[in-house]
Amino acid sequence: MPESALSGLKVVEAGDFISPAYGGKLLADLGADVIKVEPPAGGSIRKHGPFPGDDANIETGGLHLFLDANKRSVTLDLESSEGAQLFRDLAGWADIVIHNIEPGRLERLGIRYEDLSSDSPALIMSSITVFGYDTPYRDWKGSALTATAASGLSQRIGDPGKAPLWIPYCAADFQGGLHGAIAAMAALQARRATGEGQHAWVSIVEVLGNYLGGSGVPAFVFGGLTTTRAGTHMPGFYPWEVAETADGYFEVITMVDAQWRRFVELMGNPEWGADERLQNRWTAPAWRDELDAYWHPWMKERTRAELWQVFRDNHIAFQPVQTVDEIVASPHLEARGFWQEIEHPVAGAYSTLGPPFRLSATPWELRFRPPLLGEHNADVLGGILGQSPAELERLQSAGVTV
Amino acid sequence: MSSSGPLQGIRVLDHGHVWAGPLVGTSLSDLGAEVIKVLSPSRSSGVSMAGKVMPGAAGGASQVDTTDPTQYHGYERGKLGISINLAVDEGKGLYRRLISVSDVVVENFSPRVMPSLGLGFEDLQKLNPGIILCSMSATGATEGPWRDLVTYGPSLGALYGIKSLLGYHDDPMPREDMADLDPTAAGHAVFAILAALEYRARSGHGQHIEMAQGESAIQRIAEPIMDYLFNRRVARTQGNRYPGVAPHGIYRAAGDDEWISIVARDDREWAALTSVAAASGHNLGGSTFATLEARLAAQDALDEAITAWTSLENAMNLSRRLQDAGVPASPVMNAPALAADDNFHALRRSGMQLGPDVKVTAEDIYQGVVWKLTKTPGGIQRTVPGTGADNARVFGELLGIARADLDGLHERGVI
Repeated sequence: MPESALSGLKVVEAGDFISPAYGGKLLADLGADVIKVEPPAGGSIRKHGPFPGDDANIETGGLHLFLDANKRSVTLDLESSEGAQLFRDLAGWADIVIHNIEPGRLERLGIRYEDLSSDSPALIMSSITVFGYDTPYRDWKGSALTATAASGLSQRIGDPGKAPLWIPYCAADFQGGLHGAIAAMAALQARRATGEGQHAWVSIVEVLGNYLGGSGVPAFVFGGLTTTRAGTHMPGFYPWEVAETADGYFEVITMVDAQWRRFVELMGNPEWGADERLQNRWTAPAWRDELDAYWHPWMKERTRAELWQVFRDNHIAFQPVQTVDEIVASPHLEARGFWQEIEHPVAGAYSTLGPPFRLSATPWELRFRPPLLGEHNADVLGGILGQSPAELERLQSAGVTV
Repeated sequence: MSSSGPLQGIRVLDHGHVWAGPLVGTSLSDLGAEVIKVLSPSRSSGVSMAGKVMPGAAGGASQVDTTDPTQYHGYERGKLGISINLAVDEGKGLYRRLISVSDVVVENFSPRVMPSLGLGFEDLQKLNPGIILCSMSATGATEGPWRDLVTYGPSLGALYGIKSLLGYHDDPMPREDMADLDPTAAGHAVFAILAALEYRARSGHGQHIEMAQGESAIQRIAEPIMDYLFNRRVARTQGNRYPGVAPHGIYRAAGDDEWISIVARDDREWAALTSVAAASGHNLGGSTFATLEARLAAQDALDEAITAWTSLENAMNLSRRLQDAGVPASPVMNAPALAADDNFHALRRSGMQLGPDVKVTAEDIYQGVVWKLTKTPGGIQRTVPGTGADNARVFGELLGIARADLDGLHERGVI
């Protein structure tokens, strides 16, 4: 069996909900030894669902089963002084601590980078924050929704006059986890050169605003441009929109003139194809409703399957809006062997998503199933931190662990 | 070309075009790598749509005004620009020499392009066993019915089920998103490249990262996918609502197109929210919304009651009061508001150094380095690259090609 890209890398994951768990997953699935530190009652991800049969159980939540494979679980009450000390001890074992504990709470618990690294100068800590680590709003509470609103992204999604929208299912938190993991890996590269660890942090608001381009600030500062929402259309370019078909929706976008011309030809080269307002894609949005009226009826008379075949045959980049059941049934993902099967003692056999990328020499791999809550307390607190069985029992009855 | 970033000493050849690919190169440059943008002498591989060059794209100009602050924004900044004609043998020869002194190659062509040029991973590996090739196609390079589909980020998001979920709860027609598929794919590629560098540091071996952008983007809709796999429930547009949390919304505030986002994730946050409302004379308490179950069952009424209150309030002022009470809330920020926001400025200015080629001040740069590495901060190394602007530096200084030979290569259209 080939070695993994991150074999031997020791990681502690802590905090709440999706962002640290996704960062930990990226590391774990490439072979890192990730220990997930959870509160004794289980982290919020375990309580969220979706549950098979809507039957809530901390071992069977869909987000947990997706995010936590390849990890070990240990329970620690960080609010107790003994729990916080065990966390500091565990950080002494780790190469990387990745977490989203709020800066103020981190300080109160005595587990800041400064606290953890004094005896472990090679330690890397990656803090996933919403508003920043040492910034004016560092103590603001945040969630994926409020982060999306605060970043400038929401302002640009939705209908004019109606509420701006978030990117659903906590996309912002996944971005936080991804960029927290990048920060950790970048610090690991620096450590290869210097031998020293460091504190790294990301802000989800900044990732959405600047990495995803949601803030709109450069365009405003340099060009005086303020972009607002245009519902089913993207402002500023044409065509870039969602259009109705006989049985659902289609994404209509192209930046290649030849594709647009082929599209017009497909409709039998109607006269309106010569409308000069269509010739400049940057000014065309000003007449979007009139221009849409030329070709929307043609789309509405056809099914997604018919349209898809025609567009594929003609190398046009328009694609059907597929629903969740349709993507699960995708013959392409099937051919690529995307879906993974896992056996779990409580959830039974289940399917989950496969790799976001494939590494030829060190494959992405689901090596073992998600852990039960506190399943590795003895391995970790005993095996790694050297607590005796009697001590483990005492910690459990004192509520520090499960 | 020294930098303080963690990837100091790493050399990257960037063939990225449109958005996802170029953003990978810029990310690696922000982290300190030396990134060389490889363009064709005949045409720019930056985005040029209907003759208008997108900001932040290499536009085919040979020289870029280094004092123009707009050139330090977007997804091509920080790179050196060279031009090579890879269709001719002499160009391929030069390129092979570059491969032997490089660490990472990034490309987002369709899967057949690099192998057809004789520059597939096996070819590159023969020249440099440590080379890391990151190939980012839309749907993947392995066999499958969608392998050769033509897509853009937004249509790829539609194809992979992501778009079907974005819209209002009372209307299944999706709304346009902000095209986050490209930067999501770019982030995953950067992570995979860093992991491959880590493996190479231990083993000496490079490898091929084969990425389908759709498969990296689909990770973030795992929740509705798992729900379908478990329960055969097909999720559709939900507005700003989220399973198991209420309130979870964006509400009208006082003023024109002013909005506030508010979330109460548990009973404590809900109690704090109701006390802030009560202090301004609005009663959200009472039995109607007392429990999470009750709030989830009456979300339309809940949102209406909250709007009756928030629509009278200034979004920032109310956000501060809610935050003081421990409730997650934020105004919906727009570009002018962010441009005046202390926190935005603190974020963009944090952890950013400027390279010696940068001719503007940090004040002028509104997109900083998003990864704050406190001991080895990354930075902005230079502007967007001009096509071939750095040919002399790269082919001359790096490969040691004599001036007269460079002139000959230029005359023959190789560079």
